[in-house]
This record gives sequence, structure tokens and C-alpha cells, in this order.
Amino acid sequence: MTNPPDLVGSWALATLVVLPMTAGVLLLSVRRIGERLAAELGTAAAAATLVIALLAAVTAAPFGRTVPGLGLDVSWIPALGVRLHLGLDGISAPLVVLTALLGLLVCWHVLRIRPPAGRIQGLVACFLFVEAGAIGTFLALDLVVFFVAFETVLIPMWFVISRWGDDEQPVDAPIGATPIPGGEAARRDAANRFILYTALGSAVMLLGLLLIALRSGTTDLVALAYRGGAGMSVTVQTIAAGLVVIGLAVKAPMFPFHTWLPPAHTIAPTGGSVLLAGVLLKMGTYGLVRVVVPVVPAGLHRIAPILGALGVAGILWGGLACFVTRDLKRLIALSSVAHMGFVLLGVASMTPEGLQGALFANVAHGLITGLLFLVVGAIKDRHHTADLRLLGSGLRDRLPRLGWLLAFGAIAGLGLPGLAGFWGEVLAIAGAWQPGSAMGGASRPLAVLAAIGTAVAAAYLLRMLRSLWHGPAPVADPNAIMSGPIMGDVSTHEVAVLAPLVVLTVALGVVPGILLGVTAGAVRLLLTGGTP
Amino acid sequence: MTGAVDLTRIAVPSTDSRALSPVVVVVAALVLVLLVDAVVPGGRRQVRRLLDLIALLGLAGATGAVGWLAVAASRSGGSDRATLCVPGSGTQLPSCAYVSSALTLTLQGLIAVSALVCLLLALDGPGAADRTPHHVLLLAAVAGALALAGARDLVTLIVAFETASLPVIGLVALRRDAQGGQGALSLLLTAIASLGVLAIGAALLLLATGSLQLDRIALTLAEPGLARPVRVVAAVGLLLAVAGVAFKLSLVPFHLWTPDTYAGAPLPVAAFLAVVSKAAALAAVVILVGVGLPGLAGVWAPVLGVLAVLTTTVGNLVALRQQVAVRLLAWSTVAQAGWVILPLAGVSTHAAGAVSVVGVSGVRAAVAASVGYLVAYSAASLAVFGVVILLARHLPAGEEHTLADYRGLARREPVAAAVLGLGLACLAGLPPGVMGLVAKLLAVRPVVDAGAWPIAVAAAVNVVLGLVYYLRWAALLVAPAQVEPPTWRVKPAEGLALGVGAAACIGLSVLPQLIAGVVPSVLR
Repeated sequence: MTNPPDLVGSWALATLVVLPMTAGVLLLSVRRIGERLAAELGTAAAAATLVIALLAAVTAAPFGRTVPGLGLDVSWIPALGVRLHLGLDGISAPLVVLTALLGLLVCWHVLRIRPPAGRIQGLVACFLFVEAGAIGTFLALDLVVFFVAFETVLIPMWFVISRWGDDEQPVDAPIGATPIPGGEAARRDAANRFILYTALGSAVMLLGLLLIALRSGTTDLVALAYRGGAGMSVTVQTIAAGLVVIGLAVKAPMFPFHTWLPPAHTIAPTGGSVLLAGVLLKMGTYGLVRVVVPVVPAGLHRIAPILGALGVAGILWGGLACFVTRDLKRLIALSSVAHMGFVLLGVASMTPEGLQGALFANVAHGLITGLLFLVVGAIKDRHHTADLRLLGSGLRDRLPRLGWLLAFGAIAGLGLPGLAGFWGEVLAIAGAWQPGSAMGGASRPLAVLAAIGTAVAAAYLLRMLRSLWHGPAPVADPNAIMSGPIMGDVSTHEVAVLAPLVVLTVALGVVPGILLGVTAGAVRLLLTGGTP
Repeated sequence: MTGAVDLTRIAVPSTDSRALSPVVVVVAALVLVLLVDAVVPGGRRQVRRLLDLIALLGLAGATGAVGWLAVAASRSGGSDRATLCVPGSGTQLPSCAYVSSALTLTLQGLIAVSALVCLLLALDGPGAADRTPHHVLLLAAVAGALALAGARDLVTLIVAFETASLPVIGLVALRRDAQGGQGALSLLLTAIASLGVLAIGAALLLLATGSLQLDRIALTLAEPGLARPVRVVAAVGLLLAVAGVAFKLSLVPFHLWTPDTYAGAPLPVAAFLAVVSKAAALAAVVILVGVGLPGLAGVWAPVLGVLAVLTTTVGNLVALRQQVAVRLLAWSTVAQAGWVILPLAGVSTHAAGAVSVVGVSGVRAAVAASVGYLVAYSAASLAVFGVVILLARHLPAGEEHTLADYRGLARREPVAAAVLGLGLACLAGLPPGVMGLVAKLLAVRPVVDAGAWPIAVAAAVNVVLGLVYYLRWAALLVAPAQVEPPTWRVKPAEGLALGVGAAACIGLSVLPQLIAGVVPSVLR
């Protein structure tokens, strides 16, 4: 007999996906809605989703039981053995809440600050579809449902980048060159790279998922985690792990499959960049923790050194590339590659500390990079460029509050203790340092390189701050595009949108136990194969 | 020499007219159309409406007959109706030329419904003077296709196959212009050449196994002590038979007729070619290799795998460069044909002693996956073709219109644009076309199970290749337009056809069980 609270709880999970989806469909089908009303409707739907997500997370606690606290399990495709199995446990709950929060913030942001391309109805609908797809991915406990939700975000995000992306030429142009307007070709190119790379990775991942499903006889992730790879030979596990990791590596992104990321992040509108960095990248690394670590552990053990090495390569490469980039959005995008490298290092270590660190870094990166993209979007709106040479210096004096927020974001990004970024990186490195790490002899050298990577991150972020935030405010320069900001300092609305991210970054930095306690039990279950 | 014939010695096959009812209904409608046209000539509107009604009722009746047979079969516990049977002699069991099994009924249902939708799309088009030829040829082709789905011996298969193929040539030429004539001619030449190859293949199979009945052929080839020359002859016969059938599926390298014929035919006939003809072709392939020759899976599975990969890749690569809508669709259907055949490549053979044994469940799963993909592909294609036909009827460029004419359609005709977008997403295999995603999953599953990794990886790459042009087309629907696309009032027949297509896409996306579990029982 199901108790009434369980029934309500299970359908709450379905609502988390259906509500944004329905709101998005409504926004697309009703023809004449004013832009403001469309944004308000989207914000309301996203706010409702956040409230339900928080309630669901609270109800599903305590985490760490063998069966996820809240679950929905109905038969969907009996011929393939696929069930619509949704669940909320310690790994997915923080990500679901983060996605709902970011979804609310981007819709709320669009309420006042609208991209020049107009047609906000479609933009908000696309944001809601991405949110629904991402939440579906985090809730899915069946391989096929996971894959369907994973693919759901692709087409809406493609439209966000290609239709509402930035107009100016984003790549480093010589000083004095006027930005080329109407960059539809550049938008289309960035959007195509995003979707084609990711779709190719997903198709390869599908092969791995099918191999797992066929050789183990089930598609249910809870059952697969319980088995821990029993019934599949090490060769099969390695092939499956390799295929799935390749697919997820494109999304994570892992060096060298990351080349879609800089153009996509740079050209996407502010809300699109926030969702790309804060939500889509999480789906890749979440997939690693949910689908690869518990299901094919022996296979992951074999490829862990490669995974760790490529993660660290991403940390270092991202950091070094940030030194030479002059576009602010591109710099934040490349720093995402570096941050995700820590997550990959933590996952590759397959130790409890490493996995905890990976999950923590995941959430922290979502908060910090979301914050940074919103701030950079505000800077770009005011100066009509994101080029560091053209922006001038002295942001601290010209736009003090905006400058303070940028400095806060940069310092959080470089992993200062006391802010959220620190714990993820430290735990990931600690996990790699453990003797039981799956990377074997390469663990400690990789951990050292990752630590050097944090120094590189500090270097480029502080350099960016020095050139942009410090320094004298520029006098009117006839060569510069703008001689002064058009709009004033950050408005109350913008501060309100950024406030939750700032508060959470500080909270998680000072009291990491909030998040670590949530993930601890689930991580223990993942590594021991579901037996407590 | 006595002149009397001993009637007790001639094997007269028994006929179960209820099993044949789908075919009979369509043929009756065909005869009725001819009669009405002979008795009441002239192009009066009432006569045209009457002819349309007869044809529609014929196809609807066939669908009803299939449904009734399915219900009766499920009530009687899954026993198949068989007819035109030859009694057994000695060690041989009785063998039937027409079997109405679950596979047959599924394919027949698909063919009948698709033909109905194609007919609805054709009704409001130009060419009112050609009602009778159009309906007669269409009904004849459908009758052949329905009979093909139930054929279980080589002669019936060949006759039904030709009945399903030759009338379509006439349909292609109905535009009565040079391009139509050229398209019809290339299809005719391909069909005739393929008939010859198919006949030689069937003859070699008869030579090898001594029988034309597919179940007896399967039994003969499954014998453990089969001599090697017999296997070789049977294998060559199989390959020639598949080559003879492959043109109808547009498999590379038998696909060269496709772009010219699709461009030369009226658009509803192109839709018929894309959906009904492919269904008939798949029926022929599946019956040949699945029912008749599972024992030779070691031969046909790799061959079909290579053909599938080639077809998908060539179709996608050439479609990338097309600007004319109907040509893009033609090449897209070539690529999709590769996907339809892909599951059949995933039949693994494992050696049991000196003889390689094919898992019958492997063949069954592969055939079920093929048919399931075909259902999904038909629904999506009909939705896309429906919108293309609608636009062609309201543009000056007509059936030669290019992709640029779709710019901004979402603002002028949101419903049609939504249906087109959904159909394209289903063909591409990304949500919101969940149906297409599940279908692609279904198609690749047997290949992964058999461990044919090169084929699987090639299929994965082709997902992305197809995505390029489907997405490019869908993006045009919402792009800002300089020239406003037309708006229109949808006629009832067109609206019904679009509605069926869209409902099928949405319904199958919500309940993919209908494509995954579509052929549940044993292959007969």
C-alpha cells in the first residue's frame, strides 16, 4: 500500500519536469502575448518549479538509503524493458535545486534585460525546455529515460544560440576595427558546432548504454548500481565505459572534446551562457557519476588514468588559453573547461573524497560561473563589447558595485578558501592523492599538476581583474568605441538576480557540510554497489 | 493416351477468403472504380467525388479487414489463418502460399493506413481529369503490397512484388510532362532489370532446395548435413533475390532512380513512393530473409549491414547539398531506408560445432526492430510530406519550390509549421521527436547486440549527418523572412491527412511501446 505522502511525492517529481515543459509549450502556442507578460509567465513557472524542487529535496531527505527517497516507477516501453523511473537522491537533489534556481534567475533576468533580437516568448520557452530536460536528466533512473532527457536540451539550446545570440564579432579583432553587425553566420556556426558535437557524442554514448542494457539485461539504474558490474566481463565493461565516457566527455567538456564550448558560450546571450555553463555542463559530469561509476566500475577503473590525465590537461590548457584571450566571455568559458577538469579528476579517482569533491565542484562551478556570466553580460550591455582591450580599466571607480561583483566572482573562481570553489578543488585533489585512487601510479603526479592549475587560474583571473577592475578610469579616448558607460551601475533588479548566487557561494564556502552531508551517503552507496 | 484427368491427384489449394479479405476488398474497389468510369464517363464533379469515395472506402475497408483479422487472431490465441495451401506429401508438412500472421497484419495495417493518407493528400491536387487512372493504379499497387505482406512462397512473392511496383510507374507519369516521363522511365527500367535478377535468384533457390515454399526452403537449409554446393547456390540465389528487391527500398547502389522519379512525380505520388512502396519493399526483404532464409544469416546479415551503412551515408551526404524541397526529401528517404534495414545487420551467428547456428530470437528481434522503425518513419514522413504538399499547392513555384520558401512559415501558418517541425524532429531523432529517438535506438540495438561495431559507429555518425539538414530546414521555419510565405485554408482531406500524421507522431512519442512492441510473436 502506498502512503498518500509517497504518492504525492512521486508525482511531485513528474511535475518538476512537466511544469516547465507545459509552460514552454503554452508560451509557444499562444500567439499574441506581450514580451513582458511572456517573461513574467516564464518566471512564475520557474519559481513554482524551484519551490517544488526544494520541497521535494526536503521530503526526500535523509539521503543515503538504498532506494531513493522519492520515486516514480511506471512501465513505459515493456518491449524494451524500459520503465519511466524517476528518483531524487543525494547526488541529484543539489543539481535539481541548482537547475531550478538558475532557470528562475535567467527568466527573471530576461524580464528587464532583453536581447535585441526580440521575440522573448520563444526565448523564455527555450529556457523552460532546457530546464525541463535538465531536471529530467537528473531525475532519470533508467538508461533510456536518461538518454531521452539528455537529448531534450539540444534543440532548444540550438535555437537560443542561433536566434538570440550576440551580434558583434566575438573573436579577437584588431584595435579600431568596428564590430561586424548581423553575425548570423557566426551564430549559426557556433550553434551548429554545439549541437553536432554534442549529438555525435550522444550517439556514441547511446551505443555504450545499449551495450550495458543488453549485456546486463536491465535498463534500471538502481538495479545496475546494485549489481555493480556483475554479469558483464571486464572487456565489455571497458568498452561500455569508454563509449559512454566519450559521449559525456563532449558535454562535460573534457579536453580535447571541448572545442565547441568557447564559441557557443561567447555568442550565446547572457541567459543562454548561464544555462550552458550552469546546467548543461553539469549533465555531462552527472552522467559520469550516475551511469559510469556504479554501473561499470571495473571498466572505469581501466580508463581512469586517461580520464584523469585529460581532466588535468583541461585544467592546464584552459588556464593557459585564458592568458591569451582578450574576450571576457571567452575567458569565462575557458575557465569552465578548467573547472570541469577538477570534476573529471575527482571522478577518475573513484575514491569517496574524490567523488565528493567532484560533486561539490560541480555545484560550485554552476553557481560561480553563472554569477560570472551574469556580471559579464551586464558589463557587455553597458560597453557594447567584451573585449578587454576596449573595455578600459578602472571599473572599480566607474561602476563600483558591478566591479565589486566581478571581483567577487573572479576570486570565487580562483578557489579562495571561504568561498565555494575552494572545497571542490581541494577535495578533488585530495581524492586523487589517496592511495586507493583508480588512477594508480599517475594519481599523485596528476594531483600535483592540478594544484599547479589552481595557481594558473589565480594568475589569469587576477590578471583580468588588474586590467579591468584596477587602474585609473580612462579619459575620453578617440580610438575607443565608447567613451563612457551608457547605463549606470547595476540596478536593483540585477543585484536581486545575482544575490542568491552570491549568498550561496559564500554559504557553501563557509559551511560546506550543507552539500557534503547531502552527497556523502549517496557516494558511499555508489562505490559499494548499493549495499549499505 | 486417355483424355481424362484424374482430379484426385491434382493438389488444388484451399482458399480462406477471410484471410485474403484485405486484398480482396481493395481489388473490389478497383473493379468498382473501373466500372463506374466505364458506365458514367465524363469529368463531372459528382462522378469524381464518387470515384474518390469508392477508393477511400476501399482502403478504409482494407484497414477494417486487417483490424478485424487482428482481433480475431488475438481472440483465438494467436493462431494464424493460412490459405492457398499445398498439402504435404511424405515427410513434408503442408505449406501455404499466403499466411496472415502478426507480421503480415502489422505490415498490411501500415500499408493500408499510409495509402489512405496518401490518397487523401492526392484528392485536392491538380489533375482532376486523371481521377480514374490515378485511383486504379493506386489501388492496384496497394493490392499488390497487401498481398506481398502475406506471401510465403517465391512465386506469390514475385507476382505480388511486381503488382506493387509496376502500377506506380504509371502513377509517376501522371503529370504528363517531360520530367514525369523521364522519372517514370528510369523507374521502369530499374524495375524490369530487377525483376530479371529477382527471377534468377528465385530460380537458384529452387535449384538449391527443390521447393518454392519459403518454410520448406528454411527447413532444407537448416538441415545439419547440408552439402556445401547447395549452400553456395542458395547463397547466390539469396543475394540476387535481395538485389532484385533492393531497388524499391532505394538501397545503394540501386537507388539511382530515386531523385529523378521523386522530382518528376506529383508530390502525393512521391509520398506514396516514400511510404507505401518502402513498406512493401521491406515486407519482401523481411519475408525473404527472415522467414525463408534465417539459416543463411551469416551471408545476408553482413551484406545488409554494408548496404545499410552505404545507403545512409550516401543519402545523408547528398541530401546536405539539396535546395529543392522534394529532392531533399528524396535523398532523405534514401538515408532513412538505410536505417530501416540496419537492424537486419544485427543478426549474430555463433558457431555450434562445425555449423553456425543463428539465434531465431535474433532474427525475430531484428525483424521487429525493422518493422518498428518503418512505422515511425512512415508517420514522420507522412507529416512532412503533408506540409510540403500544402505549401506546393499555394506557391507559384509549385512542386519545384526550394527550402527558402519555408522562411518565416511559423508566423503565417503556425500549425503547419509545427507539424513540419515535429516531423523533421522525428526523422532526425531528437526530442520533441521522441518517437524518432526511440526508433533509432530500436534500430541500433540489434547491431550492438551482435557486436558489429563498425556498423554501429557508422550509424552514430549518420545521426549527426542527418541532423544537419533536418535542423537547417526546421530553423528556416522560424527565421525572419523578407518575402512572406502564403497562408491558406486547409481543405478537409488535407486537414485529415495532416491530422493523422501529426497525431501519429505525437501518439507514438508518448507511447513508444507501439513501435517497439509492434511485432511480438514468432516469425511466420
